[in-house]
Amino acid sequence: MEFSGALDTFYAESDELLESMEEDLLNLEDVDDKLESLNAIFRAAHTIKGSSGIFGLNHIVEFTHVVESVLDRARESKIQVDSVLISVLLKCRDHIASLVHISESEYRSDKKLTQISGELIASLTPWTTHSSKNSSSEPDKQQTGISINDSAGTTTDKEQIQSGLWHISIRLNKNCLKDGMDPVSFIRYLGTIGSINFIETITSNLPEYQQYEAENLYFAYELSLKAETDLQTLEDAFMFVQEESDITIIPPNSNAADYVKLIQSLPEEDSRLGEILVACGSISKKTLSKALIRQIEQGMENKNESRIGEVLLEQKSVSEEIVEAALQKQKESEKNKKQKEISFVRVESDRLDYLINLIGELVINNQRVDIISERINDNFLNEAIESLGRFTEKIRDAALDLRMVPIGGTFQRFKRVVRDTAQELGKEINLVIEGAETELDRLMVEKLVDPLTHIVRNAIDHGIEPIEERKKANKENVGTLKLSAYHQAGHIVIEISDDGKGLDQNKLMGKAIERGIIEEGQQLSRQEIFQLIFHPGFSTAENVTNLSGRGVGMDVVKRNVESLQGSVEISSELSIGTTLRIRLPLTLAIIDGFHVESRGTHFIIPQATIIECMDFTMHKTDTNRQCINLRGEMIPYIRLSQVFCLSESNCRTIEQTDKKHRDKLVVVQFGEHVASIVVDELHGEIQTVVKPMGQIFQNLKGIGGSTLLGNGEIAFIIDVPQLIDLAVGLESTHPDLDRLSENE
Amino acid sequence: MAKNILIVDDSASVRQVVSIALTGAGYEVTEACDGSDALTKLDGKKYHLIISDVNMPKMNGIEMVKEVKKLPAYRFVPIIMLTTEGAEDKKQQGKAAGAKAWIVKPFKPEKMLQAVSMLILP
Repeated sequence: MEFSGALDTFYAESDELLESMEEDLLNLEDVDDKLESLNAIFRAAHTIKGSSGIFGLNHIVEFTHVVESVLDRARESKIQVDSVLISVLLKCRDHIASLVHISESEYRSDKKLTQISGELIASLTPWTTHSSKNSSSEPDKQQTGISINDSAGTTTDKEQIQSGLWHISIRLNKNCLKDGMDPVSFIRYLGTIGSINFIETITSNLPEYQQYEAENLYFAYELSLKAETDLQTLEDAFMFVQEESDITIIPPNSNAADYVKLIQSLPEEDSRLGEILVACGSISKKTLSKALIRQIEQGMENKNESRIGEVLLEQKSVSEEIVEAALQKQKESEKNKKQKEISFVRVESDRLDYLINLIGELVINNQRVDIISERINDNFLNEAIESLGRFTEKIRDAALDLRMVPIGGTFQRFKRVVRDTAQELGKEINLVIEGAETELDRLMVEKLVDPLTHIVRNAIDHGIEPIEERKKANKENVGTLKLSAYHQAGHIVIEISDDGKGLDQNKLMGKAIERGIIEEGQQLSRQEIFQLIFHPGFSTAENVTNLSGRGVGMDVVKRNVESLQGSVEISSELSIGTTLRIRLPLTLAIIDGFHVESRGTHFIIPQATIIECMDFTMHKTDTNRQCINLRGEMIPYIRLSQVFCLSESNCRTIEQTDKKHRDKLVVVQFGEHVASIVVDELHGEIQTVVKPMGQIFQNLKGIGGSTLLGNGEIAFIIDVPQLIDLAVGLESTHPDLDRLSENE
Repeated sequence: MAKNILIVDDSASVRQVVSIALTGAGYEVTEACDGSDALTKLDGKKYHLIISDVNMPKMNGIEMVKEVKKLPAYRFVPIIMLTTEGAEDKKQQGKAAGAKAWIVKPFKPEKMLQAVSMLILP
């Protein structure tokens, strides 16, 4: 087909449209009712895109598509039209004008033009990005816009061309005549693909004349087509009706079982359909009729309907392998279908939380039964209880697993934050995401978004330098921000690292002194200096930007993370970059705990933090400092009884003095820190259902929550990081405390 | 007798391309530049198929379909809508109005011809 004449029309038309587009764009700033102008501009871009696609001018389609989608969003008031956007759009218009008159190959070889395309598309990005809600629809749109040939449904390579007798079974929607879809036209069209070998009209659906409606279609068709073609082409023939109709196409030389399946899936009587299939020449009469007769007989004998495939097999009409394969395929497709259905069951989150709560109770009750069974000491009972316990644990894990979601979704959100923030500050930033598949509790994910957002914004604002500074420092113009997540010792670690200027310790110290947070001359460790940024009211930015730097936030970040039983660590190298490491437990609902006792009070130490347990007296203690020498390493220790000022009840005193020299030591680790906790008694592992402490205990350090033990007593869950802080603090500030208490 | 097709699109070049393709295959083609233009052209002539763009000035494709479906002579005439966006809401609106066939723009003229011949042969 020759379209050169039309191409001239296209040029003239495009020039006209671009001219009016320019006019409308320029008017846009002045007029009050922007919608009408926006509609006109959108339509111009839309028309240019549509026409250029028809002429195969893909370079125009690609570029205009982006412009068009921005205009579409403006039209739907999803984005604000300001003078910045208008000036970008004007540039885009000029670019389209220069694209229109050149061919695609000319464009591809013109580096300058391709570069301008890229730059303009990049400059449109603030308006093309969708909020997370809409982002899912974006890729679809782009596909339909750009993949011209595919969207038109041309044959794909994977389809095999087969020649022979195709069997086509047509069941159209009964309203199709009203829509202007004449079944005869489809059959005629099939006649252009091949020659129709046989066609049978099925009239069994015709209703009584009283119910008959002249505008409805009651006919169905079975036909065989002699053609050399592929499945896609035949399916395409029905593209206008495929949504509401039932079209089955069986390629030449298919298994008998496929025909049988077809017969069974259709509403008409099986034997009648069988006859038609035979008449079509699609399957031999002998093969099919035997199978069908046998099936009817069997159906009368025993009411269990056997699969026709099996019948065929019994009759030895087809080879065993074919039937096997067909049946297998049938089963598989059923299975696949089911799996797909199951994989996305939506459940209200409240119901899930309720389930987790119930399982928590189950765990507690299980422990209660455990204690009772120990007392009764019956072997069979013990065994039964033991397996009950195992399953309870499995149920617990499975239930908690339901609430686990990959963190990737949350990380994805930051693409937008990073892009927007970078744009606002005039920086170029590349966001790298690692470990998106790492899972953690949904409840934690929700609470993490705010602190992460703040950290990310801070990193972009304060961490990554402006382009000029980066150039001076011999760094790449584009800064890198990395979000990564991984599991470590029962915790999830989220790292936010940038390749910016790093934290300046002297500057931090100076600021802290100026703000009166620390005193002049005070010695602080590296980590302590970095931690200053979390101090309320601390801000190092000389100029307060509107993004961050008001000193509100980082302290909130830390509080948020701590409320999730987590911690924040900072490592930073000047001019190399800063890394913030957030360490969080995987879940807050039920944890593996270690049950200990001190002065008659029960405590739970989260199992994930424990390195080892040992006898305290066996180790050399440094009496000047509250430290023990553990295999040559000095580790601070802390007595639970002392930290929580536990006074023993009188009845226990005698017992306790007896045990005095059998203090037990639990060595715990959190992050980089190692410390040890001295307790009186080790009771062993226990599944711990975490009950949060009430509001009034918010300020209590060292306790993260409480739990019920199987015997009904309350145990406190130790907040290891806080306790470690305390231990380290005690070790350095009150060296004599332990000795004092021992002397008492 | 050749079958008549009405092509409605605000882009002259699209109309021209479709027109060349269809007349080449033996159809008779009439062009209309928007919905209201199309409605006036429906008077006094019988078309076997209408091909229409959605986004047009004056009267858009969906409004036009609604009007066309009200005409007794066009109750059973198939309408093919052309759409760039795979926009589902537009499609649903169009379907509710009475257009059941869709072709995604941009299309190849050959593809258009094929689609037309599925519904009516020349």
